[in-house]
Amino acid sequence: MSNDLIIGIAGAGGDGVVSAGESLITAAALEGYHGIMTKSFGSQIRGGEASCRLRLATQPVLNPNGPLDVAVALNWEDFRRFGGELPVESRTIVIYESNTGVSPDRLPLEGVKPSVVFSVPITQMAEKFAGTAKAKNIVVAGLLAGWFGIGRESMLTGIRKKFAKKGAEVVNGNVCAFQAGLDFAEAHPLKEDRKLGAPEAGRQAKLLTDGNDMCAAAAIFAGCNFFGGYPITPSTEIMQFLDREIWKYGGTVFQAEDEIAGLGAVVGASFAGKKAMTATSGPGMSLKTEMLGLASIAELPLVCVNVQRGGPSTGLPTKAEQSDLFQAAFSAHGDCLRPVLAPVSVADTFPITVEAFNIAEHYQTPVILLSDQEISQRKETVDPIDTSKFQIVERRRPAGAELANYARFKLTDSGISPISHPGMEGGNYLAAGIEHDEKGRPTASGEMHAKMNDKRFNKFNPLKNRRDLFVTIGDQDAPIGLVSWGSVAGVAMEALRLAKDQGMHVKLLIPKLLFPVAEPVFEDFFASVKCGLFVEQSHQAQLYRLVRMYVDVPRQVKPLAKSGSNPIQPGDVLECLRKLVVTMQCNPNHQPEAMVG
Amino acid sequence: MNSVETLPVERFQAGDFKSDLKPIWCPGCGDFGVVTALTRALAAIGRPPHEIAFVSGIGCSSRIPGYTTAYGFNTVHGRSLPIAQGIKLANPELLVLVASGDGDGFSIGGGHVPHVIRRNIDITYIVMDNQIYGLTKGQLSPTSPRGRKTATSNFGSLEDPVNPLLYVLGYGASFVAQGSPLDMAGLAKLIEEGIRFPGFAFINVQSPCVTYGEEDQQLKGQRTRLQNLGAMGHDPSDRAKAIELAREYGTKLYTGVLYRNPTPGPTYGDGVAQRHQTLQKQAVPRHDILKRFIPSPTA
Ligand SMILES: Cc1ncc(C[n+]2csc(CCOP(=O)(O)OP(=O)(O)O)c2C)c(N)n1
Ligand code: SF4
Ligand SMILES: [Mg+2]
Repeated sequence: MSNDLIIGIAGAGGDGVVSAGESLITAAALEGYHGIMTKSFGSQIRGGEASCRLRLATQPVLNPNGPLDVAVALNWEDFRRFGGELPVESRTIVIYESNTGVSPDRLPLEGVKPSVVFSVPITQMAEKFAGTAKAKNIVVAGLLAGWFGIGRESMLTGIRKKFAKKGAEVVNGNVCAFQAGLDFAEAHPLKEDRKLGAPEAGRQAKLLTDGNDMCAAAAIFAGCNFFGGYPITPSTEIMQFLDREIWKYGGTVFQAEDEIAGLGAVVGASFAGKKAMTATSGPGMSLKTEMLGLASIAELPLVCVNVQRGGPSTGLPTKAEQSDLFQAAFSAHGDCLRPVLAPVSVADTFPITVEAFNIAEHYQTPVILLSDQEISQRKETVDPIDTSKFQIVERRRPAGAELANYARFKLTDSGISPISHPGMEGGNYLAAGIEHDEKGRPTASGEMHAKMNDKRFNKFNPLKNRRDLFVTIGDQDAPIGLVSWGSVAGVAMEALRLAKDQGMHVKLLIPKLLFPVAEPVFEDFFASVKCGLFVEQSHQAQLYRLVRMYVDVPRQVKPLAKSGSNPIQPGDVLECLRKLVVTMQCNPNHQPEAMVG
Repeated sequence: MNSVETLPVERFQAGDFKSDLKPIWCPGCGDFGVVTALTRALAAIGRPPHEIAFVSGIGCSSRIPGYTTAYGFNTVHGRSLPIAQGIKLANPELLVLVASGDGDGFSIGGGHVPHVIRRNIDITYIVMDNQIYGLTKGQLSPTSPRGRKTATSNFGSLEDPVNPLLYVLGYGASFVAQGSPLDMAGLAKLIEEGIRFPGFAFINVQSPCVTYGEEDQQLKGQRTRLQNLGAMGHDPSDRAKAIELAREYGTKLYTGVLYRNPTPGPTYGDGVAQRHQTLQKQAVPRHDILKRFIPSPTA
């Protein structure tokens, strides 16, 4: 029995590698398993090599990482192209296409000799039963269903549905191809049973989606009625989802001529009273900074999603990195503060996106939502979400007496002043990028500028006590502390489990609110901490450095940071922790080096 | 003919659209005339100030929304058009006006112009073209003539200017006009016509900069050059002729409507309204949107 299975499949573009993965994770979701699936492609837009990684488990899956339990190679050249993305170990079960002519004891894998290897005539079986090599993915699904006990029924339903239009013969052929895979597995049983056990929380079906679609759906739920933007990988699916849905609610998706115009239109829509958003990635984010500054001084609510990819410039468009945190926190010129939020998973993208809209509307501010390529594109099973538990915040509009002698930027105790919009009688005012007085009249007065800066900063003070935007796992008094954010937080969570298993007294802090830095939350966390790690995916360890600007982080808390596209494994975290603890015990005053550059 | 009962009642006077903010333009600046003409046009249109959104970029000219009682938005340099489009799409009921300068509109913001034209979003775009950067004190503008000496072209400009009229006509604008504060009544009428035109309307205003502008661009200099297209008998439905006249920008000074598409196409807003109508039946309640993610078996 297994409770956690990592499967990697690779082949040529047309091999149906991704369909095989998708049908399996769908089956898993329907049967109540937890799972994450990531895809990876060669550099060609179409064709080229393709791979997917599936991590299926009986309990929640925290990240897609880890060495493979099962490797499926439809051909070895393509498999090998994915290198470290599909790590094979000696305990990995290897299944490969026999027409590659490779003998089972001569696998082209450097330095490993997997003990369980199956050479399977996948193409031949597809041709024989379904009459076409295109059914290779069906055979692969049959093999995996047979050996690992997932998705038998739903695969069969899926086949019937998918090929229904093509007639009974095609349906039957594919059913037989699937059955052939099952039969092969049955005829070659594993010595050790590796079938996935029953899902811990029962067989209740889960939702299945990726981070971009989840973000878009959350936006719809939060009441978003306007999207303005410009396509860019890996954020485009947000715009695409909204284009399919938002019109139904009287909303608009506006494809602008560039990112400046995209966010410009969002600023306009917000000024006109609508909940509005944009989504982009690094290069687009660089263009949007001017509009972020404008929205900040004009105190207009909006949500700006940055699905981070590797940078600088065009960088690594299809790989995740957490290197836009500084940019998010300090995105435009002038003294200014824009809240920055980051979800840790696909599921988490729902509440955090709703929160982004709520904060934007309540504080009348642009909010930056930092997702990343991994969360945005990975498919993940999601437990059903009870949307009735969520509160939806609307901007505070002026009414009655407030409109009598309306002052748009009234200096209130909270710093929040009721906001009107065109069409509202009596609310007329001049919005501007220029400094203004309470009524919106342009001013160059130093005194007024200072007051308005105070207003625009102080209104955010309550955010620093939003403890609900932080997750702390482990004992409050643990002397070892981990901090991690975004998609990497899932790695830290798994590392925490392993570290505790090994008897380390360790805890983990996951901020979903990254800026403003919530000093009280970090100070409380570090109160017991003697040593620890910030685990993050950026060369500069941006969260580590950002937090240190505001908080006295204990000297023995160090960054474990890697540039994007170099997955951080739970084992890396564990190893660094061990080193830190040993150094600490030998010489508590020693200042260790940063763990990984 | 309108019967007496349905004749529009004059609900507003120009004064209702003038704010109490005192303009900080140099005395004699052409832009004073533009506010006057605009407020007259708005009085003639008769929509209340709170139903008007008036957007601008940055420049002397872009200060103009603050001098009116409409909802104003004095944005950032060159970006008035995208913001105005967002406003119009968010609330199609609003009357959306945009003001800009020659630098704001045709240099830093020039890239947005083709797109608003091809989308045909129903807004009125007024550019105060003084062939100079006024706010930053006299630098070369994209409409400054070749050879023009300015603070950043001390030895004369080495560039040909942009021709705003030809630029927008070339991209297919359906309403193109040019006015001058010298002919205040004419300018007010052009703005009114632009607002009434169903679709994107462009009005170039020869609004002189008294401080940094050339002698011949001042209103006095204009007096001898100005030729009224109406008086010339120009037929504004003749696009080829309009293009011919537009080519003379910089040498001749025509005022009036150069081109008005006699059969204007649908606006972007028309398409949006139609789409909303056909798609609204398909909406699931917003709180049910996650049902999109219920998996169904696939192979
Ligand atoms: C991004 C940016 N670049 C430069 C400026 C400085 N600037 C402000 S207005 C302006 C030019 C103004 O010329 P124009 O648009 O012709 O307006 P005018 O003042 O002549 O009415 C410049 C360069 C700015 N505000 N923002
Ligand atoms: S500098 Fe020129 S454009 Fe600016 S206010 Fe003075 S006269 Fe007008
Ligand atoms: Mg100018």
